[in-house]
Amino acid sequence: MKREEKNIVNSQGSLSVSDESIARLLCDDNHVEEAVRLIMKKYGEQLYWHIRRMVVAHDDAEDCLQETMINVYKYRSTYSNEYPLSSWLYKIATNESLKLLKNRSGFTLSVDDLGDSLKDSVREEASPDADETLILLQEAIALLPAKQKMVFNLRYYDDKSYEEIHQIVGDSVNTLKTNYHYAVQKIKDYILEHQL
Amino acid sequence: MKDFDLEGLSREMPYKMPEHFLDDMTERVISQIGKQQRKQRRDHKIIALFASAASVAAVALLFLHPFGGGLDIPDYDSISQCASVDDLFQNMTADELGVYSMMSNYYGN
Repeated sequence: MKREEKNIVNSQGSLSVSDESIARLLCDDNHVEEAVRLIMKKYGEQLYWHIRRMVVAHDDAEDCLQETMINVYKYRSTYSNEYPLSSWLYKIATNESLKLLKNRSGFTLSVDDLGDSLKDSVREEASPDADETLILLQEAIALLPAKQKMVFNLRYYDDKSYEEIHQIVGDSVNTLKTNYHYAVQKIKDYILEHQL
Repeated sequence: MKDFDLEGLSREMPYKMPEHFLDDMTERVISQIGKQQRKQRRDHKIIALFASAASVAAVALLFLHPFGGGLDIPDYDSISQCASVDDLFQNMTADELGVYSMMSNYYGN
């Protein structure tokens, strides 16, 4: 491996190895393990929270993250440099989260019908010292339809641009903007209604 | 109408991630990938073994029956040796013609 591709941890403790280097290692059978370690180091936490915001329960997030990383390995040859590595990883993580929710909803219900049960899980999963408004926010997010939830989370928590969200979710930028607008409105209404 | 300032809210999550979770997850994923890689290598070896066995069998067959010489393949010198369709129809019994006409009606000729 070239000298500049070695892992560089900057003063803030974050990994500054480039996505191109990780992608190159990922496609090389002899360096897959190293690539997976680098991905987990650089994106593991972001992916975990992205999944957790979708599925709420830690155990489910754990299963989804593991499946996401196995899929990263399995489908590594499908990664194209056209898109950033992070968008590809978020896309796989999003699909895994939706797959888990779909399995949970069974044949008769849709993913969007799980809102109430996800909302109940929010309070069960919240830490005892968690801020009430933050719990209300997560409850409101849990009640959103899956598409609005994805767009809201990616924009609000992950600071993704609409272009990046488009690469992950696939809808047009205008549709994504509309989804975000509706999500914000519903969340505000929910918090105002339930805040003491 | 009252409004709520979503932007002013903390981006913190009300949940916690267990300590060392990501390190444990990394090791678990690496171990899973290792298992898959070993399985893949084993599968490749089995396929290669079968491919070699098939090649050996093909070569052996070629030596035993070079260019199909030893096989009992009918050798027609010319097309004239084949019976014409008209001849076949002329030699058909009444029962065979009945079955033929029933089948052609069924399949719409």
